[in-house]
Formats: sequence, structure tokens, C-alpha cells
Amino acid sequence: MKKNLLIGICITIFLIGVIGIIWVLLPQHGTEVNIVQDGVILYQFDLSTTKDQTIDIEYDGRINTVQIENGKIRVLDADCPDHTCVRMGWLESGTLPIVCLPNHLIIQFVDTDESIDAVAK
Amino acid sequence: MNVKKLTQLAMLTGIALIIFVVEMQIPNPFPLPGVKLGLANIITVYAIYHYRAREVIMIVLVRLLLASIFGGNMMAFLYSLAGSAICLAGMLLLKRVIDEKYIWISSVFGAVLHNIGQILVAVLILGTSVLVYFPFLLVSGCLAGAFTGICAQFVIHRLDIIGDK
Repeated sequence: MKKNLLIGICITIFLIGVIGIIWVLLPQHGTEVNIVQDGVILYQFDLSTTKDQTIDIEYDGRINTVQIENGKIRVLDADCPDHTCVRMGWLESGTLPIVCLPNHLIIQFVDTDESIDAVAK
Repeated sequence: MNVKKLTQLAMLTGIALIIFVVEMQIPNPFPLPGVKLGLANIITVYAIYHYRAREVIMIVLVRLLLASIFGGNMMAFLYSLAGSAICLAGMLLLKRVIDEKYIWISSVFGAVLHNIGQILVAVLILGTSVLVYFPFLLVSGCLAGAFTGICAQFVIHRLDIIGDK
């Protein structure tokens, strides 16, 4: 009985996670992107109008190279140990940002639609 | 603490470290920060059910410190430390509720608590926008926790056969 209850809790946690993932992965069609480091907005772009370019962002002597091409943004190269941000590829999801934990870097879409924002909050 | 106990703890720490280094060489198919199997926690789960609280804490602390030196990622130390602290606190309590036969259930809770600790540090350092990773961590925590728990069950079974404890 107790065992079933505990397994039930496990399954519930798992399902909450799955639902959360589905919600997070719903694509967003915004074009406003900002790059945040330690909670400070370093850059803000409108991807539909920004020219192709690469930007170097430094943190504590380490550099992330961010590339913008054809209205998409990604981390091209990083000298952090794990390279997770590079392997995440182009920024696609509206809610799931590209994150580089060692270099405190977040690249995310900006919520420009105020009405959706109001409902979500 | 006698020499035998000390040797056992050192052995367990060493085994956990070896598992960690080997796991580091396996490419992670999920490129998300914080998502990994954490096979070294097989030892943690085993130790929680076979050693006293402060002995488990010693094993985990030494392993975390050495693992971040070997892995060359001191940032990871901060995340693992917070994760492990919450995970250990939770599991040492759960040990009283969950029988060793169902060690994998307690391992699932441990893994999820570990991920909660990690996400809390991430929120402190990076801000609340990293919370979107939380569902991924929940799912990976459940799966990885169940896997390491089942492995720990095998370990306990084998050790029972050779008569240690």
C-alpha cells in the first residue's frame, strides 16, 4: 500500500515533467532576442532585421562566440569545458533559452506580446 | 572511527570517482545542462542504506571535490554541492520510510531532490529564466534515479552473496 503510494508519487513527478517539457517546447515565432549575462541584458536584437554577424562575449577570461545568420542565432564556439551551449544549436523554442552555465550566459526570445504575458502572469 | 571503516569509506569514494571519470567519457546524448545519468550515485544510494549519515556525507563531499578537480569544472562543484546537500537530507529521511527492498524508489526521490538543488543554484546565479529547464530535469531525474537505484539494488544483492554485511 505504502509502496504503491510512493510509486504513484514518482509517476506523478514524471508526468508533471513530461507535460512541462511539451509546454516548453511549443515553438515561438518572435524575432526579438536578448543576450543576458548575470541578469544584465548585454545585447538585444530583432533577428529579422539584424545583419549576419558574430559577437564575442567574454566572462572571466573565457569567450563565447555568438553567431547570427539568416535570422537565427546560436553559440558558434565556446571555451567552456562542456560545450553544452554549442551543442544546443540554433535558438528555436520560445521558452527554452540557450544557456551556458560556466559563463553565466543566457540567449532567449523576448516576450513582445504583452497580452500573452499578462495572462501568463 | 576504526581503520576498517575508514578503508571501506575510502574504497567507496574511490569506486564512485572511477565511475564518475568513466561516465565523463561517455558522450551525453541530451545536450542540456544538468542532465546526466550520475552513475557515481549508485555508491551514494548504497552508502545511505549501509552507513551512518556523517559517513555518507564524508563520502559524497570528498567525491564531489575530487570529481570537480578531475573534471576541471569548478562551477559544476557548486551545482553538485547544492544538489547533493538537498538529496542527502531528503534520502536520509526517506531511508526511515522506504525499505531497502524498494531502494530504487528512494533513489528516484533522491535524484529529483538533487535536480531541485541544482535548479535553485541556477536560479540564484542566472535568474528565474532557467526555470524552464526544470521539467527536463524532473524527467531526467526520474529516469536516472530509477536506473542508479536499480544498479544499487544489484550491488547490494551481489554483496549479500559474497557475504559482506
